[in-house]
Amino acid sequence: MSDGLLIVVIAGLVATACGLLGPFLVLRRMALLSDAVSHAVLPGIVAVWLVAQTRAPLPVIIGAAAFAVLCVLGIDALRATGLVASDAAIALVFPALFSLGVLGVTRYAAGIHLDLDSTIYGEIAFVPFDTVWLGGYEVARSGLVLGGVVLLNLVLVGLLWKELKATTFDPQFGATVRLHPRLLSRLLLVASAVTAVAAFDAVGAILVVTLLIVPAATAYLLTDRLVVMVALAIGIGWLGAAAGYAVALPMDSSIAGAMGLVCTACFVLALLLSPRHGLLTRRWRRLRVHPAP
Amino acid sequence: MDGVSELASEPSALSTAIGLPYTDAVVVAGALVLGITSGVLGAFAVLRRRSLVGDAVAHATLPGVCIAFLVAGVKDVPGLLLGAAVAGLVAALLMVGIERAGRIRPDAAIGVVLSGFFAFGVVLLTHLSNSSDADQAGLENYLFGQAAGLLERDVAVMAALAAVALLVVGVLRRALTTTLFDPAFAGAIGLPVRVLETLMTALLVVAVVIGVRVVGAILMVAMLVVPTVTARQLADRFPSVLVLAGLVGAAVGVTGALTATRGQLPTGPVVVLTGFAVAVAALLLAPGRGVLWRARRLAARRRTVRRDAVLAQPDAPVSGLRDRLARAGLRRRGLLAADGTLTAAGQVAAAETAERRALWTAWLEHGPSISLPDAREPDPADLTGSLGPEAVAQLREAVRGQVVSGYASYGTRIHSRPPEGAR
Repeated sequence: MSDGLLIVVIAGLVATACGLLGPFLVLRRMALLSDAVSHAVLPGIVAVWLVAQTRAPLPVIIGAAAFAVLCVLGIDALRATGLVASDAAIALVFPALFSLGVLGVTRYAAGIHLDLDSTIYGEIAFVPFDTVWLGGYEVARSGLVLGGVVLLNLVLVGLLWKELKATTFDPQFGATVRLHPRLLSRLLLVASAVTAVAAFDAVGAILVVTLLIVPAATAYLLTDRLVVMVALAIGIGWLGAAAGYAVALPMDSSIAGAMGLVCTACFVLALLLSPRHGLLTRRWRRLRVHPAP
Repeated sequence: MDGVSELASEPSALSTAIGLPYTDAVVVAGALVLGITSGVLGAFAVLRRRSLVGDAVAHATLPGVCIAFLVAGVKDVPGLLLGAAVAGLVAALLMVGIERAGRIRPDAAIGVVLSGFFAFGVVLLTHLSNSSDADQAGLENYLFGQAAGLLERDVAVMAALAAVALLVVGVLRRALTTTLFDPAFAGAIGLPVRVLETLMTALLVVAVVIGVRVVGAILMVAMLVVPTVTARQLADRFPSVLVLAGLVGAAVGVTGALTATRGQLPTGPVVVLTGFAVAVAALLLAPGRGVLWRARRLAARRRTVRRDAVLAQPDAPVSGLRDRLARAGLRRRGLLAADGTLTAAGQVAAAETAERRALWTAWLEHGPSISLPDAREPDPADLTGSLGPEAVAQLREAVRGQVVSGYASYGTRIHSRPPEGAR
């Protein structure tokens, strides 16, 4: 497998994992939780370094996931007091955790390779150089991890499709028929946290946030059916991965940045030209019905 | 250092006043200006549930800084600030525009703009570092707090922008308040709602661009939210919230900056953690609203209900720990004898409880028929105090009339059972 193809496949795996969860987050108005989570994991990485003196992937992912879950549950607890709105709860929790991480880095880990660049901006271009041997084949480590995450999300969304759908669109109905909306919501949040952690280790925080929000929002502009929305979100994510890589290579630019830009371009196109909800199509339809005098 | 302080007007005066070295004084002054501005302007964002607009605007300044650097070719602060402000403003207006298009909700709109702009910034940044221009190094540090490198000139620029922002809020506060709480009404009385909203967005962008220098982009979010969340727990009127938020912001900024300089720590994180601690303390302890305060009040009310239940039926079988605790409390007060019967004082208290209940039952039954000077709702625990002796006399009269007509015991029987949750 060539390096280029490998990078696109890794980004595509991230897009699949994010595309499975992103639509639910966007529909539940929790899109920005992914941004919060991807910042809140920093103290986890620092804590793992302080305790175990290691940057090995598995402990780091466990430490980061622990703080991601802490962040999610902290936001949930603040929201449950009824004293702060959920957006303010997000804005209180994640900067505090991030600050804790920055303090930890500057105080105890300044000398080692644990700076913000290496932890927050994981670089997708380095994916091909990080491989493990598995059954006689050399495979990219992040591909292995992300494959597992995709499988996990697929099982979660596949098994709980009906329940997630019902509680997303009508939590009261979900509670009435005993679907435990809060438990499902927490499950979804924890899955998003784990996905974000696994993905940001491979491709960097900004690409994870982008792939969780932008394809889902784009798909939401294009369809009214949830299953189509999930499929579209995954498809747009793959499109962004492939086209972003194709654009970034000749221009010698940041691959993750280019992928994000392609996804955003898809969103802009959908916002303007979506058959039903697009700004231009709506205007055009109006003009056709009521032609300008 | 002497040569530099000669140029200084406000900060050097400040540094002699509070006895800090010059650099530290500049940092503290910067944190102070930032705290006041973000406190006051953050109130408008948080109360609109747009707390995270600050996050998106802060991320969106990255491409602005890069473009400003590309155009100017040097890292001079006013130019970069201008670039950041323009990019932030464009991002904020795009967010509002996407929201207004209808389908996309605010959080997704903020998320899309945030990721789009930041991705653009990252692409620009890689181009700049490829262009082998040595001066570009550290441009991305604009995103993280670099307060130690803050110059007096930066503080002056920040103070000027802050003054403008505060002046606008001061002059337009009535129109802004109306637009904030009831845009439809504001439009109906002829206020230019869109212009005011754009103005508030612009002011918010100013605050964020100021803050990006002092505490950094991600941490700037907290400085917008913490003062308002804290102030909101302590006050209910918008003008008080606004003033309190400014004060809390200033206090948090200065305390955090001083702690950071004392402990040789980075300014941004320490300021944010100070703010987080303050906000959580307010959420837990705020009088009347705080979580602990409410828990205490609820516990006291539960205790009263359980004790009243024991007083009403002292010979009921003892069930459970809570019942036992309630009985122990009554015994401590000398209302319950050791053998489980009521003492003389206990009988008086039980009679008072029964009287209160009877009065409440009478209110439920005859409340609508008695004449009150106004339409207030009584407090079940203290009917006489909240309705006045006049109304209570009327209630007694109504009950007596009913005894004569012969079906008085109906309501009393229903309501004289121990209340729910008193078991």
